[in-house]
Amino acid sequence: MKFILYLILVLLLVPVQTTLLTHLSVWNIKPDLGFVAAALVGIFAGEMEGLLAGLAIGWLLSLFSAGDLWSSLLINGGVGLLAGFLGRQVSQVTSISLGVGLLLASLASGLFAVARFKNFDLSQMWWMVESIILPQACFDGAVGAGLYWLLSQRFEVTRLRTE
Amino acid sequence: MWMANSRSSSGARRLAFVCFAFLLAVLFLFPGQIQGLLQYLDGPVGHIVRVPLEAIAAIDAGIADRWQQYVAVQGVWEENQQLRKEIEWLRGQNSQLRESASATERLAALLQFKEQALPPMIAAQVIGRDVTNRYRAIILNKGESDGIKPDMGVITPVGVVGRVVKTTGASSVVLLVTDPNNAIAGLIQRTRDEGIVEGTPQGSAQLKYIPLLSTLRDGDRVVTSGLVGGFPRGLAIGTITRIDKPEGALFQSAELLPEVDAGRVEEVLVIQASYGQVPKAVGETGLPGKPSP
Repeated sequence: MKFILYLILVLLLVPVQTTLLTHLSVWNIKPDLGFVAAALVGIFAGEMEGLLAGLAIGWLLSLFSAGDLWSSLLINGGVGLLAGFLGRQVSQVTSISLGVGLLLASLASGLFAVARFKNFDLSQMWWMVESIILPQACFDGAVGAGLYWLLSQRFEVTRLRTE
Repeated sequence: MWMANSRSSSGARRLAFVCFAFLLAVLFLFPGQIQGLLQYLDGPVGHIVRVPLEAIAAIDAGIADRWQQYVAVQGVWEENQQLRKEIEWLRGQNSQLRESASATERLAALLQFKEQALPPMIAAQVIGRDVTNRYRAIILNKGESDGIKPDMGVITPVGVVGRVVKTTGASSVVLLVTDPNNAIAGLIQRTRDEGIVEGTPQGSAQLKYIPLLSTLRDGDRVVTSGLVGGFPRGLAIGTITRIDKPEGALFQSAELLPEVDAGRVEEVLVIQASYGQVPKAVGETGLPGKPSP
């Protein structure tokens, strides 16, 4: 049952991210739902499922992006694992703390991706950071916080925690 | 919401970290092999993902059509009047160009130039945009099973759109001409000077490596040179809007306004072979220059 749910989540992420989110973008920036989904799976289901879901999301989304496969695997798998680990250490995860965490993680992954762009001078890199990476990180944080709040309000969701 | 304490999870946690470390090591040590391994799965997975992707893209296109038909009719009359004026002007231009074309044909026949036939093309529909914000790319509803391969050129009747960079069984990713990671060999139509067209982070394009002695000016059109890549010669790329000639530099560069507004592209043509490889491809698919259904 869980596997089917994950399968549906991963398959639906592609059309939502590529087609629908284009209309909801603000200043041509759209949130990375794959990134947010991997983090939420990590928070609610632990490191292992966060990692596996993140890898699956990263691989599938990389098929529909001009970016390379390994950075997508690394970023989404890594955020699932990290969210699972940190979520277990924190006794009370709130929407705000999750939002801030996602913002920082998205910022770090964005900077990592931009640093790998060839032929970019410093001014072009800075433009990318202030016009794309930073707004997207804010967007990811806000969407993640909103989804977490919605999930925790609407459903009885179990979260794993280290004693 | 309630939380479950979990003492026995440390094993799973360690396993997760070991798996991630192993994956990191494998990705760094054998990137090509991993890519090749996953490419076997890309085809079938692409076909599976195509179903929800095309369904949602169709709903999206349907809603957009309805919006255009019923809601966004404001300003149609003014637009209609303007278009009528443009048609009149274009008719005049057309007759002049026909005259020039027939003269060119006569001269070409006189000089025994080889006719430059357009290569065979595949028509495809745009069903999405790149999943990230870092790349300017579009997703097409046709892929490897339709004969599309990486590095093929993508155009519209107006001009160059970009280049195929990735394919699955049923879809392909096209890196737009405005993406900084894209480079296409270009030619200034008036002066015949060559350069490289690259995208900029801001979403426009620039022509680089133009010879210092070139007499280019604002408004000059840039077309494909046909020397490198999947494009035949003479396809419109953009118009020069600003020229940069830094002191002491070896080359000039110029900012371009791309001919195709990639944000509004809905259908494109994928060029199956570049000029020079045409005869073999023509024999396979039929008439040259005619998009296959």
